[in-house]
Amino acid sequence: MSDTVQWDKTISDVNEGILKGVEGRPHPTYYIALAFALTLLITGVVSWGLIATFGIGLSGKSSPVYWGTFITDFVFWVGIGHAGTLISAILFLFRAKWRNSINRSAEAMTVFAVITAGLFPLIHMGRVWNGFWTLPLPNTNNMWVNFRSPLLWDVFAISTYLTVSLLFWYMGLVPDIASLRDRVKGFKRFVYGILSLGWTGNIRQWHHYETGYGFLAALSTPLVLSVHSIVSWDFAMALQPGWHTTIFPPYFVAGAILSGCAMVYNLVVPVRKMFRLEGFIKEEHLEACLKLTLLTSTIVAYAYAIEFFIAWYSGSYYEWAIFRGRATGPYSFYFWTMTFCNCVFPLLLWSRKIRYNTPVAMVICFLINIGMWFERYNIVISSLAEDFLPGSWGHYEPSIIDMCMTFGSFGWFFTWFLIFTKFFPFVSMSELKLIMPKPLRRKPTH
Amino acid sequence: MTTKTAGILALFDYLDDVEAALETIKGRPEFKDHILYSHTSYHELVHHAEERYGPSQVRWFTLTGALTGATTGFWLPILCDLDFPLIVGGKTPAFSSLPPNLIFIFELFVLFGALATILGMLWLGRLGNPHARILDNRLMDDKFGIFVPGARVDGEEASLLKSQGAFEIKKTS
Repeated sequence: MSDTVQWDKTISDVNEGILKGVEGRPHPTYYIALAFALTLLITGVVSWGLIATFGIGLSGKSSPVYWGTFITDFVFWVGIGHAGTLISAILFLFRAKWRNSINRSAEAMTVFAVITAGLFPLIHMGRVWNGFWTLPLPNTNNMWVNFRSPLLWDVFAISTYLTVSLLFWYMGLVPDIASLRDRVKGFKRFVYGILSLGWTGNIRQWHHYETGYGFLAALSTPLVLSVHSIVSWDFAMALQPGWHTTIFPPYFVAGAILSGCAMVYNLVVPVRKMFRLEGFIKEEHLEACLKLTLLTSTIVAYAYAIEFFIAWYSGSYYEWAIFRGRATGPYSFYFWTMTFCNCVFPLLLWSRKIRYNTPVAMVICFLINIGMWFERYNIVISSLAEDFLPGSWGHYEPSIIDMCMTFGSFGWFFTWFLIFTKFFPFVSMSELKLIMPKPLRRKPTH
Repeated sequence: MTTKTAGILALFDYLDDVEAALETIKGRPEFKDHILYSHTSYHELVHHAEERYGPSQVRWFTLTGALTGATTGFWLPILCDLDFPLIVGGKTPAFSSLPPNLIFIFELFVLFGALATILGMLWLGRLGNPHARILDNRLMDDKFGIFVPGARVDGEEASLLKSQGAFEIKKTS
């Protein structure tokens, strides 16, 4: 794909053009975005402070719905993290050249999204400071964690995913940090010097780096599929109608990649403008990301349809009642919002004209993210609110605190992401050079 | 006193010039300890490294780490269950339940494998060296370099590299 990209820059422009944003001042909109993110973050921190002080009762959870928006947020943010590894690892192994211009931002998104996701189970438990109880650590009660619980599988899956994503992201950054180290002075040089690990770019380093990077990609690839599968088992292993289905793992993975790709687009387009990176992240690369979004949207639409079909075809009264209830009951607003946002609006991306119309594509991707949040809300809440026994049914609405925590999570995520864009190269310079025309004296004849 | 970085650095603009220079100096004793620098990992140059240093040994680190992780993931739940048999659903397990243990085997396989890979990259690439220094800032930008330790700017090595397309030969200390 990148073979057909018309580059108006050469490899000599790469370091200068990309590091200009790190060394200089970004567009003023960057500071507006950062201020907005910080405001959201403060909202979240204050809300969490209230929960820590007055108790978890401030959230809207009550019988029978004890998994509310915190678990919705958890699943949503883990999902966001998926596209990063897909783009950086799977597309690397498939040699998809277009990923080289956006893989850095996608990896950063993964790391910050998984960190955000990891906060929510702890917040959900109420006493965050006891979070380490979820780990298999020796303790005075001489008791171990339950290795047969999907919740513990999640602890291992998420912590492994975070660690591997972090390593993958950091190793990719090392050659670029070394470039930065050699351009700055004083304290910055000292810090970037430590972070660059003494990288000099000699061929021995590249040799082992390339091999190691390939292995990291190979190890990360099954993680893309396994992490959200394991998250889906949190639900699918329960007997709750609407949850206990075998389609959940692939359905969750496809949804995660859909939301992740949409978020990559929503992040890359503004930052590309703020740091004047249009010459390096080309329209064609963004279009490829939208094509992936469209593909996963059709998979998600298929999964929605199959879920309904199986609920009816299985003959299970409870299953069918839940699905009918989702479309027509008290949570139907969420259901139809998710259907339109995830399955209907993305169909516009079949049009090439729309894929190249950045504002319209931004709106579609934004709607997909809203739709994916509602999808998780729909799954978590509707099945818990109305299960087998009508006598135990209830209704759930998120409290103000719940909503503030959700907005706060966006603030937390965007704050970290924006800080990253200011201090580190937003585009992987060493990898970008590989998809640009090679510096050859004798021009290739073919 | 001579240092490890004393010698000459030949700077090249073009990838095909560096490739030609590498072909020319291959096997010559005066270039035995040369070091090639590149701003990115062009396959042509990594291929040259593979010829010179052999296949990367990072793979053994990965394998060792992954197998250690899988073994840890296998034994961790079993040993914990033996230490304290947790009653779930009213049943005391006679032995640890193996199907869910696959998850821990897989996760620790990946985790330890990735950590060992990073260690291998650091160790074999001589990374983590605070004294490492770059011979010329342009090598990180868009230039290629061949460093020949112990050579002189007016020596035979320098003129050979110049004839292969080096646009600058500089002395390093």
